[in-house]
Amino acid sequence: MKKIFPLQISIGWAIVFACLASPPIARAAIENSECFGCHSDASLSRSETDGVSHMSEQLFIDEEKFSHSVHHHNGIGCVDCHADIKTLNYNAKVPHAKQLAPVNCTMCHDEATAAFKNSVHMKIRGKGITMNCSACHGYHYVRPEESLTVMERVNNGCAKCHNPYQSHDWLPQKNEHFAFVECVVCHVPEAPRHIHLTFFDLVTNKFYTGQEILKILGIAENEFIPMLDTNKDGIINVDEFENLELMLRQKNVHAIFHAELVAEMHPIVHQVNRGTALRDCTACHSADSPYFEAVTLVLTKDDGSADHFQVDRAVLESFSLRHFYALGGTRIKLLDKIGFLLLAGGFSLVLGHLAVRIATIPLRRKNEYEANQSSIQEEVSK
Amino acid sequence: MKQDKLIYIHPAPVRVWHWLNATGIVLLVVTGFQIRYAEMLNLMPLKNAISLHNYAGFGVIATYFLWLYYYLSTGKITIYFPNLNTFVEKAVKQIKFYGYGIFRGEPNPHVMTPENKFNVLQQKAYMGIMFVLLPAQMISGVFLWKVKGYSDYIHLLGGIRLIDTIHVLFFFFFASFLVVHCYLATLGHTPLAHFKAMFTGYEEHH
Repeated sequence: MKKIFPLQISIGWAIVFACLASPPIARAAIENSECFGCHSDASLSRSETDGVSHMSEQLFIDEEKFSHSVHHHNGIGCVDCHADIKTLNYNAKVPHAKQLAPVNCTMCHDEATAAFKNSVHMKIRGKGITMNCSACHGYHYVRPEESLTVMERVNNGCAKCHNPYQSHDWLPQKNEHFAFVECVVCHVPEAPRHIHLTFFDLVTNKFYTGQEILKILGIAENEFIPMLDTNKDGIINVDEFENLELMLRQKNVHAIFHAELVAEMHPIVHQVNRGTALRDCTACHSADSPYFEAVTLVLTKDDGSADHFQVDRAVLESFSLRHFYALGGTRIKLLDKIGFLLLAGGFSLVLGHLAVRIATIPLRRKNEYEANQSSIQEEVSK
Repeated sequence: MKQDKLIYIHPAPVRVWHWLNATGIVLLVVTGFQIRYAEMLNLMPLKNAISLHNYAGFGVIATYFLWLYYYLSTGKITIYFPNLNTFVEKAVKQIKFYGYGIFRGEPNPHVMTPENKFNVLQQKAYMGIMFVLLPAQMISGVFLWKVKGYSDYIHLLGGIRLIDTIHVLFFFFFASFLVVHCYLATLGHTPLAHFKAMFTGYEEHH
């Protein structure tokens, strides 16, 4: 009987697990290049008319832009999404069905789908409004959004349909909130979030990309944290943060750290619902608010992704970060101590003086009495 | 026996400004504490505290310009400027009075007149408050009111953290000053004499 070695068993199980764990996508034998054979033609379009109305649809796909998409980066090909195309018939005028089935994002994005199904954007289907994934994310050029600013995130998503200025009348300082806080931070309070620190040049009014920062510092990507995190605890503390600013200044770069409160790219962000938005100001604007627990320094990448590096919350509550302050939430505790001393000084002065005033009442009465007596004597002697 | 003598010290515009300003400062201090310590205090919702703080702030700014217009147009602004030649001597006398003479019942070395109603310590303190601290507080307050709108100026001045630090430190100063100011107002010939004078305009001289 043939002996089976433990190593062979392990390899066998590894293959089984690998098969089970692989994405549920059966790649058809159609390469992207075949699709781009036609769809890279900028003039490619289709049109239909029923004699009354005329419909025209652009069928051009920008291959360059597609090559930067998150799907392409993850090896997702055209027919992985357009799954109803099984074969291409080059003898036909159009090598596949003229009308393709709608792309079903839920095949892969199951967690996001579950969250979306429990959102107001799903519920509006009952009112005859259909909102698909593409309404926010677009079609072929979906890019990572980790590196985007609040403004870019909002413009790419919510602001396509919603004008935040038409609501939020209850919210003080609307502009400031809209500029520094991503919508879903309040509208999906359970979504994980963090303070997003990026490099901003006040002179040129532009953000530095991670590559630019690394180039300025003259280091490779994998040298960034070893150079910065001198105590090797994996967290950029106040001193290390200040060192980074100093290093940039030594390179004649006067970048400031631009801070925003953004949601993490987590499926739960799709679960936006009416009436569940955060309206409690003190959730953020109080000491030790959980909204400022996670702080990350971000090196953005051209493809929209970003490297995040954990930063000590104390940085938010220090003078190291001079261009961000959330009322009450990131206050400097030292100022509270100075304030307490000022108040205590004022009260002590008053109470001390008052106490001596009360204690010396008999003395003043005695002096007044003696003064009156002497003035009477003077008048009598006259 | 000396006769009590009434002297018109505080003209109507000054009295109006004083009480409007006082109301504004009290509101600013109370709402300021609520805003900074929202997790500890529960005087009012934070949103209301911020709104009230903004309104009171603009009220104080408006009354500041009332004050400035009155004192500049009448030329009385000079009552805030101590005479540097006699300042040290008078300041020492005044400090001695507050720290010692007042307990023995000695007369105040400064005699209040309409042209010279402040003693040198008051002159120095109010000059600093009206020409430095209050304007700094007003400007920093306006910047904090519209952080986004004034972001260019805020960046130019060193960032929101610096603006906030100035605003907070002066806030604590004004809160402390309010206490000391009210106490010092009880040091007239009767505890309520200066308070009455700020309503009637007339101080009693003894």
